Amino acid sequence: MFELDKALLAVYNFLQGWFISVGIPVLVLDLLVMLFAGIMVIVVLLLAALFLVWWERKVSAHIQDRLGPMVTGPHGTLQTLIDALKLLQKEDTVPASADKRVFFWAPVLAFVAAFMAYIVVPFGKGLIARDLNIGILYIIAITTFTVISLLMAGWASNNKYALLGGMRSAAQIVSYEVPLTLSVLGAVMLSGTMSMNEIVEAQGPYFWRWYWLPQILGFGIYLIAATAETNRTPFDLPEAEQELVAGFNIEYSGMKFAMFFLAEFVNMFTVSAIATTLFLGGWQPPIPGLSFIPSWVWFIGKTLLMVFVFMWFRWTYPRLRVDQLMGFAWKFLLPLALINIFLTGLGVYIFR
Amino acid sequence: MGAIKDTFKGFWNLLIGLKTTAKYLPTRAVTLQYPYERWPMPERSRGVVVLLTDPDSGELNCNACLVCMRQCPVSAITVTQAKNEKGERYPDSFTIDNTICCFCGICEEVCNFDGIKLTGKYEFSTFNKADLFYDKQKLQELGRDVKYEKKKKPKPAPKPAAPAAETAPESAPKPNDTAEDKS
Repeated sequence: MFELDKALLAVYNFLQGWFISVGIPVLVLDLLVMLFAGIMVIVVLLLAALFLVWWERKVSAHIQDRLGPMVTGPHGTLQTLIDALKLLQKEDTVPASADKRVFFWAPVLAFVAAFMAYIVVPFGKGLIARDLNIGILYIIAITTFTVISLLMAGWASNNKYALLGGMRSAAQIVSYEVPLTLSVLGAVMLSGTMSMNEIVEAQGPYFWRWYWLPQILGFGIYLIAATAETNRTPFDLPEAEQELVAGFNIEYSGMKFAMFFLAEFVNMFTVSAIATTLFLGGWQPPIPGLSFIPSWVWFIGKTLLMVFVFMWFRWTYPRLRVDQLMGFAWKFLLPLALINIFLTGLGVYIFR
Repeated sequence: MGAIKDTFKGFWNLLIGLKTTAKYLPTRAVTLQYPYERWPMPERSRGVVVLLTDPDSGELNCNACLVCMRQCPVSAITVTQAKNEKGERYPDSFTIDNTICCFCGICEEVCNFDGIKLTGKYEFSTFNKADLFYDKQKLQELGRDVKYEKKKKPKPAPKPAAPAAETAPESAPKPNDTAEDKS
């Protein structure tokens, strides 16, 4: 096994020498490296989204004593790929009374916003596209774009179910954004930095020193708020089938629908990756003796574990009512998050 | 204090829910992958009607007595009689209209010669309605390897008349003579 960052660095150094010898400015190489990083992130995430859709179906099936997709490929592994190809071929219908421009841009915005968060996610030691010093703040700002895209989709469809779904999702995501941000603050206070890479390094390769233990309250609040942020059961009111048919994406078909669908799963991967980074030690191995396994394997493994937890939630809990949802966010999670911040501050003051 | 206790209780219940679903995660799925696997059909299930063949002679058991045709409640069966050179009746044509057959099983019940039987076959849908009229060849082909239990016991052929005459008086109760007869 090998660390990807060393291999990439070796390739970069070789290319730099070659560029200098040929006489091309190194700026071109840096631009190419950025392009390469962006393409890699998109490819990895698309593959991850395809895998997650399949995995979600498998988990749901086995929880319900079914088998799930079995025919396409071994144990149905190629099923999502085939579904995506089918969606690509489908006719792209636009309702006659829709606001056409907004209707077109809503899935694009959802897709782009979902991918932009990955600029600052550390996939492994040194595997980070740009280590911003306000990384976590950037992620919280970018993921909130989802609200705008869902609201745009709901409004532009000119359909009462879509509009209700978009409105619900706006209310829900804006409400749960507050406890989510406050729960993240605990980890930021403990590490004293907002850079994702430095937060991971501050936790060290000991699993009992990761922030899930000192931030057990914050971790719990984060899990609940992140489930609500990604519109998943038990907080899937924006797409409650029984009330809203399909929610904000009801008028969408073909590739636009696929973009919403993939963005949803990319968002789920995002919140899992953030939970891994902030609370589960990111790419650090649980004990130093296991560091021979490369860091990116640890990161992907922990993230998939978190994704599994979200899937487990989805296939266990029934949906909340709208008033329960709002009451839970403002009357329970918000005070709890504030208490968590107070206790963390107290702890940092006493133990440092 | 009550509210805090309730909160903890609520979260405990959520954990119980997670435990319940986790318990079912590793258990074996009950799904049967239908086109690749099938349940074995019970012996007496009522599916496609077939004509049975005598395994020894290779000919149809049916002797065209027409009782099934008369008893069929939906008139799905059409039989025409014919005689071969030995003077035995046989069905010249035997047609079952599966578009109206109601799989009641009366034809099997009334048949005295093990000629007709309902099998466990159930996949016979076609794109053409005319394909559902099964003629004699098709019915014989379907029933070629169908196992069946003989309703009618074969006659004791070697001793046709004499034993029958003897058994008739024996069947009457003769309490005094039974012991001597048996010995």
